[in-house]
Amino acid sequence: MLLPAAALAATDGYVGSAACKTCHPNVWSTFNRNPHYKSIASGDKPPAQTGCEGCHGPGKAHIDAGGGKATIIAFSQLSPEKALDNCLRCHTQTMSRANIRRSDHTLNGVACNTCHSIHGSKAPRALLAKPQTELCYQCHADVRAQFSMPFKHRVNEGFMNCTDCHNPHGASQPTWRAGGRPRMVDTALANEEPCLKCHTEKRGPFVFEHAAVRVDGCEGCHMPHGSANSRLLRKPVVFTLCLECHNGAGVFGRQGAGVPTQSGSHNMADPKFQNCTACHVRVHGSNADVTLLR
Amino acid sequence: MRIHITSIVVLWASAAFAQQTVAPTPETAGLARGENRGDYNVVDSVEVGYRIASIAGSLPQYRSSVNYGNGVRLLASYLSINSRDGHGKLFDQIVITTQGLGNDPYESATFRVQKNKLYRYDGSWRLNDYFNPGLTSDGATGQHFLNTRYQLQDHDLTLFPDSNLKFFVGYTGSSQTGPAFSSDLLFDSRGAIYPVFADVKRVRHEFRVGNEFRVLGIRVNWMHGWDNFREDTGATLTTAGIPGIVTAVPGLTAYRNASPYHGNSPYWRVALFAERNWISLNGRFTYTSGGRNFVVDESAAGPDRFGSAVNRQVVTYGTGGRPVATGNLNVSVFATSKLTLTNSTAIYNVRTQGDSYFAQYDNSTQSVDYFNFNYLGIRTFANEASLNYQFSPLAGAFAGYQYSNRRISSVEQVTLSGSADTIRYDQTNQLQVGRLGFRLRPLKPLSILVSGEIGRNDQPFTPVADRNYHALNGRVQYRTKTLLLAGGAETLYNANSVALSAYSSQSRKYFASGSWTPRSWVSFDGTFSRQHLYTVGGIAYFTNFNLVQGEQSTYLSNINSVVVGARFAIRDRVDVYAGFTRVRDAGDGRATVYGSAAGSTLAAFQAAQTFPILFDSPMLRASVRITPKLRWNVGYQYYGYRQDFYRDQGFRANTGYTSVTFSF
Repeated sequence: MLLPAAALAATDGYVGSAACKTCHPNVWSTFNRNPHYKSIASGDKPPAQTGCEGCHGPGKAHIDAGGGKATIIAFSQLSPEKALDNCLRCHTQTMSRANIRRSDHTLNGVACNTCHSIHGSKAPRALLAKPQTELCYQCHADVRAQFSMPFKHRVNEGFMNCTDCHNPHGASQPTWRAGGRPRMVDTALANEEPCLKCHTEKRGPFVFEHAAVRVDGCEGCHMPHGSANSRLLRKPVVFTLCLECHNGAGVFGRQGAGVPTQSGSHNMADPKFQNCTACHVRVHGSNADVTLLR
Repeated sequence: MRIHITSIVVLWASAAFAQQTVAPTPETAGLARGENRGDYNVVDSVEVGYRIASIAGSLPQYRSSVNYGNGVRLLASYLSINSRDGHGKLFDQIVITTQGLGNDPYESATFRVQKNKLYRYDGSWRLNDYFNPGLTSDGATGQHFLNTRYQLQDHDLTLFPDSNLKFFVGYTGSSQTGPAFSSDLLFDSRGAIYPVFADVKRVRHEFRVGNEFRVLGIRVNWMHGWDNFREDTGATLTTAGIPGIVTAVPGLTAYRNASPYHGNSPYWRVALFAERNWISLNGRFTYTSGGRNFVVDESAAGPDRFGSAVNRQVVTYGTGGRPVATGNLNVSVFATSKLTLTNSTAIYNVRTQGDSYFAQYDNSTQSVDYFNFNYLGIRTFANEASLNYQFSPLAGAFAGYQYSNRRISSVEQVTLSGSADTIRYDQTNQLQVGRLGFRLRPLKPLSILVSGEIGRNDQPFTPVADRNYHALNGRVQYRTKTLLLAGGAETLYNANSVALSAYSSQSRKYFASGSWTPRSWVSFDGTFSRQHLYTVGGIAYFTNFNLVQGEQSTYLSNINSVVVGARFAIRDRVDVYAGFTRVRDAGDGRATVYGSAAGSTLAAFQAAQTFPILFDSPMLRASVRITPKLRWNVGYQYYGYRQDFYRDQGFRANTGYTSVTFSF
């Protein structure tokens, strides 16, 4: 039977990390590169937060029994909830992980050791079990397919990582648009979409905002991971995208009277009017023109 | 010795998975456990090689989607120096990584140096050589040619990172430079459009300082930052007229546009977080007061479209402001060891307002002037209450309810010759969302997840926004040390229907994936994904001044994608990786671009109903260990892209590389 971490921490029986390396030399040989080695180097942490026993609990019973996973906290044997509890004894102290207990990963049984490998990390940072994108693709195979589209953010090419936009430890509610989705998207400067961290020229403020961008976000028109269509648009050509909103119908738009239709002078049978953004270049917002022309 | 060989093999096996660009080589040279030099342990690996690329077909399209070229590259490097006892003199750890340096279109470098308890510095630099072809043939219309370089850098210094009193200093910078079409358009006598070239200059600087401390058991983290953005893109016509354009009217003789757009967004952010045995709470509050100043100065001389000589100057100037206040408060109560109750409250208040003064001068006489004032305010309150219950180690469930109330206020005012015309409007949207999910673990390696969400919005802002939607998600995963099998399905249906605008979208995704490592020297990896998207929306448009209503814009996308890979290690000396990626949008199955006349009578809409493409990318790579510190690598990757209806935009690219990876 496994003992809960709290119970183990409360008991005596700590033997120190030096005792562990006798039987686990391969772990010990590279442990000085492990961020957890700081707990040993500091010399001022209590036994329950130091070295091997900081995570695995007191080692005396384990040694006395000659090893075995039942006599120590073995993460491979822990349920996701217990693994999370164990790591969060120390790792709640970071703002980026403040929402981990209510994150979708936690709700769906994804625990710390699903992604992190404390002793076998293959990434230069964060003790990830694999390079970050491959780790995420392991479960998010549909996203992997999206990043294989001909038009995509350069994740597979190494220019970006998933965590440039997402917080795998959980994010606050995406208040830039109503609703809970998307759930694991990190925020930029002022609780804005992370797109604006790089696409700074689209942030504004603009005198003439394209209100749909501010109210419903970038993904109203774009597919952020990848698309078969250029500029990651949801449609292969821009005019269908525009006209599905700009049809004047219903109670939509700033004035609740429908999103305005195009001008009557726009003859859609003429190809030059079919590329809306050739003229309405400032489609994300303009300072000089109410119709986003310049 | 046995230990480090094992480490290397495991490293190779993992890193080789799912590789989708042939280089850099994931296999590294040297000892995985590193070498001890004095008080430090050093691990290093450097890969230097030569890329080759031969492209047939549309070079612009290739540059837009792949963009690897020829030449010598520092394909990748890795260096870590760690103190052996955690008591280094000046530092305890240095980690440096690079990728693609030399002239790859995607370059990056990271740098970390830290001394335990004293400081930690993280830096990164990235470059994207971005090319947008602005193709104008039917398949991908657009006049947005861009040939720019985007650079991004981040620097963060933390003092006393392991203590309860930390200090932060940081800097983020980005820039985009290079030639591109501007937003300035010239027209000929037929009304045809010709964008003027510009030199893009966009720069962002963000400086930040902050501190974290602990009081009464609560951690308080605050940060103050200054975000500065400057755009100085300008356009000048250096050649009279519009070159190569045959019109009845001579071209412009002079044209110049300068539109500086500068501003700051200073911000404050305060976060609180605490965790006890029975409760966890965190809050995040931000205030950002963004402002931008701008001038658009545009002058032109020459004949107008009717042949009359004019000099014209347009000046627009003003300021835009956007103060944003946000707050999040999340409280989780661990009522029992099995039950967690969570409440999350979010408030978002943004007020974008700006004024824009417009003046037009004709032959030095002011002819038109007007003044715009615009305001767009969005205030959102959202609250979500949820519970998470673990019935047993085998089963758990979660449920939640969210209510969002969003008020959107707008003012649009135009003042012309002292007379103001103002439109004010307020609206309130309410969204209610319910969530329910189950997680099952009938066997230790087997997990099953099922969840659903249903939402109702009483007044969505746009006809394509979520109104009546529901989403279902199911996922099964079987995972052991050597085998991972997963499959899943996800649907999202949305209906946003009113008179004249019956929009609905149906999205369905399915995937199956697996990876298998039967032996340390062989592994297989594969993913199949099918993504179906069907949308239909009501449209209204004009042809020859006649309003056309009652038609529909439809779009159907059926994307099948396959990514497979296999890795073999031969006698601990040669590693071979073979992979294949295929993305196929089969469209709606039509044989010609226009298909049937369903939805719209206008041919342009019929041609936009589907967009079948094929993207293939097989690759093969071998990496040979010459000595423990030296490897020779060679690889080939083919990229093939085809648009079924617009063949001129396809390309075929044979790319490859050879390199050596060494450690020293």
